[in-house]
Amino acid sequence: MLQTYLPMFVMFAIVLVISSVMFFGGQLIGPKNPNPEKLSPFECGNDSEGAKNTKLSVKFYLTAILFVVFDIEVVFMYPWATLFKTLGWNGFATMFSFIVALVVGLAYCWKKGALEWES
Amino acid sequence: MTVGNVFFAVASVVALLGAFMTIASQSPVRSAVGLLITIVGIAALFLMLNAQFLAAIQLIVYAGAVVVLFVFVIMLLGPDAGDGEGTVARARVARYGAGAFFALLAAAAAHLVTRAPDAVFTPFGAVDPEHGSVEAIGRLLFGSDVVPFELATALLIVAVVGAIAVARGKPHVRRQSKSASPTARMFHGPLMARDAQRPLPTKAEKAAKAAGGA
Amino acid sequence: MNFDILLAVSPILAVAIGGLLLMLAEAFGKPMVLTGPQAGLVSTDAGAGRSDELALGSAVILFAGALISVALWKVGPESLPGAAALAPYLIIDRFTLFFCFLLCLGGGLASLLAGGYLPEHNLDRGEFFPLLVFSTVGAMAVAASGDFLSFFVALETMSLGVYCMIGLRRGNLRASEASLKYFLLGSFAAALTLMGGALLYGATGHTDFVGIGQGIATIGKSTSAVNAPLVLVAVALVIAGLAFKISAVPFHMWTPDAYEGAPTPTTTYMSVAVKSAAFAVLLRILVIGFGDPRLASWGTGWPTIVAWLSVLSMIVANVIAGRQESVKRMLAYSSIAHAGYTLIGVVATMHSGQGTPSVLFYLLTYTVSTVGAFGALILCGRRGAEAVSYEDLAGLGKRHPAAALAFSLFLLSLAGVPPTAGFFGKLYVFSAAVDSQLNVLVVIGLLNSVIGAYYYLRVMVYMYMREPEPGAPLATPMRSGFVVAALIVAAVFVLVCGILPNTSLDVAAAAGLSHG
Repeated sequence: MLQTYLPMFVMFAIVLVISSVMFFGGQLIGPKNPNPEKLSPFECGNDSEGAKNTKLSVKFYLTAILFVVFDIEVVFMYPWATLFKTLGWNGFATMFSFIVALVVGLAYCWKKGALEWES
Repeated sequence: MTVGNVFFAVASVVALLGAFMTIASQSPVRSAVGLLITIVGIAALFLMLNAQFLAAIQLIVYAGAVVVLFVFVIMLLGPDAGDGEGTVARARVARYGAGAFFALLAAAAAHLVTRAPDAVFTPFGAVDPEHGSVEAIGRLLFGSDVVPFELATALLIVAVVGAIAVARGKPHVRRQSKSASPTARMFHGPLMARDAQRPLPTKAEKAAKAAGGA
Repeated sequence: MNFDILLAVSPILAVAIGGLLLMLAEAFGKPMVLTGPQAGLVSTDAGAGRSDELALGSAVILFAGALISVALWKVGPESLPGAAALAPYLIIDRFTLFFCFLLCLGGGLASLLAGGYLPEHNLDRGEFFPLLVFSTVGAMAVAASGDFLSFFVALETMSLGVYCMIGLRRGNLRASEASLKYFLLGSFAAALTLMGGALLYGATGHTDFVGIGQGIATIGKSTSAVNAPLVLVAVALVIAGLAFKISAVPFHMWTPDAYEGAPTPTTTYMSVAVKSAAFAVLLRILVIGFGDPRLASWGTGWPTIVAWLSVLSMIVANVIAGRQESVKRMLAYSSIAHAGYTLIGVVATMHSGQGTPSVLFYLLTYTVSTVGAFGALILCGRRGAEAVSYEDLAGLGKRHPAAALAFSLFLLSLAGVPPTAGFFGKLYVFSAAVDSQLNVLVVIGLLNSVIGAYYYLRVMVYMYMREPEPGAPLATPMRSGFVVAALIVAAVFVLVCGILPNTSLDVAAAAGLSHG
């Protein structure tokens, strides 16, 4: 198993090394002479207050959870698609009932306006 | 020590560190990142067990979607939503007390299990390399384990309806005549709401318009 | 596709398909046109404001599920050999069919109550009904499952629907608190059960209850590869997780708050269907999975744990229930106490073949009495004049004799007074316990029934013997055909099981589990 994925791990390692070299290398080698002017926010405006009070709308959550549900549907479809011929009509019936139910779910949330941003 | 053992050790330590970070860190965003690390570690463990498909799904669904969902919820409540609770002394005592009690129980259970006079564990045979392939999962999912799969349909439907029920507040109202949204327009009423409101021009009007235009 | 399989799962399948149709009916129905100050406006949500038709629809679906279970009972699950292909994920036997009937009955009655309650309390959300129907699908699958895999998926289906039904009242702090508490503790409990299942798989190599039972039976033999302490830890975890769902003390902390904050039809559903489904799977796991004589005997196995849960539930819940001022909260504690009585029957499965039937019959009587009591509580209050505390109900017997009479009937049944169902439920459980030489448990149960009678009768004292104080808020009964219909159905069951218990006792006896 590990041999199969060896190239992948090698790639991970290379990515890790290169990105950390870029990240820390600049800090280590680059010249540093900070002054207050340079550290202040650029040109105009108040000092940043940070993102303390940003709150997202609940719409993001609704969209995200619907995404997860239909994402999982696709996950189930993938093994079925790879085995489509072996599984035959039984597999087709199984998947068909699954998809019909989820299509009803899709129609439901569409009609209820859950997929709309403005409402 | 083989490569497999090293891999196992690294993946388990990563998973455990992530889990610890999830429960120990003060900021909820950091906790979510800790969860992400745990998930990656567990995906690596799945890979070791020849469960390639599960490893990929673990990364796509959990790391890609569920953690993002968690972050959305954290942002929904504000990133500092959990602050201030740690200052209540009783809550802190209860938390640490419960944690210590639970740890004690877990340690006692672990001691019982490992030090039993006849401590034996079911020897599970080695899994074959094809054990976790997409085809093998598919054969299980659509063969012998089709019942739980179909039950999962009901679970997903409940998730859809429940998300809509909880995330949307009271339904809004709108004027009966005007369609509020493109979707509503598609499902009932004329395609263009303003066409429905404006009466068709009469012949006299058309003639007047033509005359005016000429 | 095997026809036997379709026929065997038909109760579950019918309710599931009905739920899908109900979703379509909810989303694609004609939106409500408002009247009053907002006349001429129309709701953007097609499901809102149509509780009456949706309640009728879901009640029809669920009662149809109950009738199909009865029909399948008459046909006999034994005559469907093809259904064995579903095992171990879904086991279709008389035990399952009994619970399918019971859960559909409870769910259908709860949806009737919702048809009256939701519009009255300005909570007219259409999503409630599909959630209720699919939650019942999950509950039936929980009762039918014979494997941790299908059990867990079904448990989550059931619980997810209930979490959302509690949190339906958005913006209400109590409802949010109830929903959050139930959600957090419920998922924690599910995690405990799942951990227990995982340990059992680690110990025995099986996820199905029969396989686990066979694995445990090999403990002590030289060829055995099953770690006995691991099994014990797993047993404790599984029982703890399920004790959350049936709200047995000390796993009851969430119950009063969750029951009080939830809309009353949801409370009804939780105390009736969720509890019954959890008892079903608890029985199946204990009798089939942990039925090994060493594990199912006093002192070395689960009967001791379950007996302690039972005693604590009865005593703690009855003592606290007597001190409540809110009737709904009192009923919440009463449901904990009833979990305690039922657990006596569970302990009795140890020796007596009467154990399982007594639990089943008790759950039937408990279901109809509890639905009735919550339904009467709903009936007693309208928006702005809800029946919350005992004081609100003062003098109700004179002002509204019918509502007070209905309430009294169900309270008497919960207290276990003779001509009602509750009496035979308790009698049967206690006699099963005497068969198993659990005399101490029976004595404690009897004493607790007496304590319990105090707070049930206190409601009746307020209704019939107290005059409302001048200027005090009074509960005014609402008018709803749905609630009245649910109460009539429940009352018929309470009286039939109380006066002619033989048929239902025979059915419960036939549905009993035999040691695998």
